[in-house]
Amino acid sequence: MSSAVPMLEVKGLAKRFPPRSGQAESPWILADLSFHVADQEFLTMVGPSGAGKSTLLNIIAQVDGANEGKIFFRGELIETANGSALHPGWNCQFGYVTQDDNLLPWRTMIDNVTLPLKLQGRFDAAARKRVDELLHATHLTGFERYYPHELSGGMRKRASLIRTLAYDPPIILMDEPFSAVDAQTRTQLQQDLLRLWNLGRKTIVFVTHDIAEAIALGDRVLVLSKSPAKIVADHRIDIKRPRDLGNLYKLEGFGDIFESVRRDLQ
Amino acid sequence: MNPRVIVDRLVVFVLVIAGWQLCSSYFGTIWFSSPWRVLDRFIDELRSGDLFFQAAYTLKAALYGSLLGGIPAALLPFALRRRPVAGAILDPYFVGGYGVPKLALAPLFILWFGVDLEPKVALVASIVSFLVFFSTTAGVNAVNSQYVNVARVFGATERDIARHIVWPGAIPYAFAGFRIAAPYAIGAAVVGELISSNRGLGFLIQSGATDFDTTLVFVSLTTLTMIVIVVNLLVGRCERWLLRWRPAQRGLTSKVIGA
Repeated sequence: MSSAVPMLEVKGLAKRFPPRSGQAESPWILADLSFHVADQEFLTMVGPSGAGKSTLLNIIAQVDGANEGKIFFRGELIETANGSALHPGWNCQFGYVTQDDNLLPWRTMIDNVTLPLKLQGRFDAAARKRVDELLHATHLTGFERYYPHELSGGMRKRASLIRTLAYDPPIILMDEPFSAVDAQTRTQLQQDLLRLWNLGRKTIVFVTHDIAEAIALGDRVLVLSKSPAKIVADHRIDIKRPRDLGNLYKLEGFGDIFESVRRDLQ
Repeated sequence: MNPRVIVDRLVVFVLVIAGWQLCSSYFGTIWFSSPWRVLDRFIDELRSGDLFFQAAYTLKAALYGSLLGGIPAALLPFALRRRPVAGAILDPYFVGGYGVPKLALAPLFILWFGVDLEPKVALVASIVSFLVFFSTTAGVNAVNSQYVNVARVFGATERDIARHIVWPGAIPYAFAGFRIAAPYAIGAAVVGELISSNRGLGFLIQSGATDFDTTLVFVSLTTLTMIVIVVNLLVGRCERWLLRWRPAQRGLTSKVIGA
């Protein structure tokens, strides 16, 4: 599975925000956090709320800087702490699906989905075809001209997901993208995500506080400690794919992994 | 609309007209012209074309002033967004400028620009610009930083962000500024004419009052009211079309203005 050089490698990452007035030193959010992701691997990270999961993804996506540590992409050093300017998305190599769908309310669904392609000057016939396929695969065909407020929560999530998939970044970061929807929609979205991932295998770093979700989706589950976050366990998930997400507890080995992840979290 | 509301509105209208008539009978038509006289005179003035001429003059001052003051004021916050230091330096001056009672500047503008259209345009511009500037600034500051972060990740340049995120997000605020400013703009044009002019609805009010012709004063006031209502409706229409992406809700200022 893993080649010699990991797709993404994070070494000794540490982060704290500037101290508030009257505070001598602010607490560390991340401390000495290291991990790597192989090409085409679906890595999930599970950690308690407030463990700094979003902060970690913000740093990898380079919308925020770290205080210590290094990040390598295909072996190339792309970020050093307190170094030069940030490069959000590292030239469109990193996709970022955030907790909120962040669709622009003044653009129709299709205009939202195609915006990255247009801004990158890559909205050609092939891209158009790809977008159509993605719309079809996520049952969004026919809703192209709707504004985000006219779509359901699940549809907005799917639109937000394919907005990132459409421009095909090699690595996709996902920050609890399905946390704000009801359980049924959530299972559906997870199935959709796995199907899309299976169509064109990407490297995914998926962060969640939901143990079941982390196990159901991932090839590997990393367990984060409470703040300051570091990796406390690394579980390989050998449940074979395709996985039936509607019946998690019937998946072979699910219960055992769930138990050990739960113990790691405590 | 609810038929009940329409009926009740008509009832209120009749009550207002009746009150007006009552005042007119009590104080005498010399001091307080009656609704019938005003309607009669209104039709006369319309027929002669004089009312159109005077109203057009006032509207011209209000429109030119709004554009001259409003457009730069709507663009300035975008320029300042990328220059926070300049913004911080200028901020107290903007606040101070907003605090100056603009109508008190009218004599100065007349001194500088004469008695024709220019001083009225200047007066209107000085009022509209501040209202639009502060409103648009609020919109530029209210930009969702998450949209900006996500857009940066998928390759948006600063220019793209200004164009696709900050600008559309601030348009409702700029519009709110223009809507609030519209009655002030017309008011400022009229005040400019009251002080010194030989044309416009303000001039008509002034000359009516000088001649004890309260009918003419009321005709001018009625015309002004109707103009403000129509302008509000037009700006509202325009706003609704531009903001058709928003969930159906009443606009930022429609609660205040009721259009």
